[in-house]
Amino acid sequence: MFGIIKGLGVTLGQLTKKKVTLQYPDVKPVWPERFRGIHEFIPELCIVCNQCARICPTDCISLSGSRDANKKMRIDTYDINFEICILCDLCVEVCPTEAILMTDQFELAAYSRDEFYKDMHWLYDNHKEHGTYKALQAAKEQAAQELAARESGSAKETETGGEA
Amino acid sequence: MFSWQTQPLTGFNFIGMVIGAVVVLALLLLIVMYLIFFLRKVVAWMQNRIGPNRVGPWGLFQSMADVLKLLLKEDIVPENADRALFMIAPIIAFVPAFMVLAVIPYTATHIFTAGLNIGVLYYIALSSITILGIVLGGWASNNKYSLVGGLRSAAQMISYEIPLGMSVLGVVMLAGTLNLTTIVQQQATDRFGWYIIPQIIGFVVFMIAAIAELNQTPFDLPEAESELVAGYFTEYTGFRFAFFMLTEFVYLFAISALATTLFLGGWLGPWLPSWLWFAIKTSAVIFFMFWVRASMPRIRTDLLMGLAWKVLIPVALFNILLTGLLSLLL
Repeated sequence: MFGIIKGLGVTLGQLTKKKVTLQYPDVKPVWPERFRGIHEFIPELCIVCNQCARICPTDCISLSGSRDANKKMRIDTYDINFEICILCDLCVEVCPTEAILMTDQFELAAYSRDEFYKDMHWLYDNHKEHGTYKALQAAKEQAAQELAARESGSAKETETGGEA
Repeated sequence: MFSWQTQPLTGFNFIGMVIGAVVVLALLLLIVMYLIFFLRKVVAWMQNRIGPNRVGPWGLFQSMADVLKLLLKEDIVPENADRALFMIAPIIAFVPAFMVLAVIPYTATHIFTAGLNIGVLYYIALSSITILGIVLGGWASNNKYSLVGGLRSAAQMISYEIPLGMSVLGVVMLAGTLNLTTIVQQQATDRFGWYIIPQIIGFVVFMIAAIAELNQTPFDLPEAESELVAGYFTEYTGFRFAFFMLTEFVYLFAISALATTLFLGGWLGPWLPSWLWFAIKTSAVIFFMFWVRASMPRIRTDLLMGLAWKVLIPVALFNILLTGLLSLLL
């Protein structure tokens, strides 16, 4: 009998506690870092090894590349058929240069199936808007600054070393 | 205008009655709509979430949107269902719910109340007719889940009607009358105060039996979604489903009003107008039922009947005995 009253007390206590609902379209949830949304693609990093296309369980990735003047492979086309992509993240795991990553975009409803065939340009735009573009640029700048600092530091050393 | 009982029935009086009934029905629909909204909000707040808050300011138009949706849905009658019974069942379930509201005293001036000298008996007798509607709905649907739901519901409601009636007997003994208006007036002058105090055992039995009568959690086996799809109203769609829902919520309001009248002193109270006191007390009882609904799991089928027959009836009988003894001695 008293268990019931204790239970009722617990429920009444919940009235004053904070609510856990997010007002969804106005407030977006914060996703963890490894959230698997639609992909982003960085063509400069891709070495056309074809691992992502080979490991995809539904064969939704198709790509083509060619050798450029320096005998390096450069990517020409890269398509993801998003209708059959199962967002399993295997292509990201297997990529040796982290050229393909997953963003946190999942609100992709469209009125026509044509919009689900994502090509390289869309994926690169996705990289710039919702992906790691900013983080990569910031990392590049920082690396460049460090390099410049080190070079000027060593230049000063050789100068002072030369003088002394 | 309200001395219709002592005059022969004229056309004008008849039209007045019909208009009165329509006005009461409209008011009732409004009350039921906001009861449903109140339920969703209370249960949500107790579960750490906000209830409906998008449709209209603070979600107030949610019930209206739901009612509109139900009215616009397709009216499906299953092919092998017993057509006449299928259509009549919601009506048989709803009409007694609407009729019992006539005897409850809402205000101190009893403008809308029929002063029946057998008010309590009228209430309890009419609420038994709803069970017929429910069993008919379960049978006429030609669906085994509905049938089982309907039979479970009938067994439960009939079993719990007995403690419901018996728990009220203590109050009737103290008041000396079955007339609901007189019972409230007696509570104003009773030496122990409102009848909840001398009749606390009766009140507890009444609340448990009332929640079982209404098929509310923890006694909602007939509508157990996880077990019976939707019980006796599986096959009902659109407007007929709205009828069953309406029945349930009108009964909720009616039984809370009865509990207020019998145990909590009806419209009595200082300072505020009498109808406001009635509304506050009824809302408190309704909140209590929603609170229980949000807190407790369902009772097992085999323990359900045992609770009615082996626990509540002896306790109600004991309450009657005690009331009789103490009335003689004190």
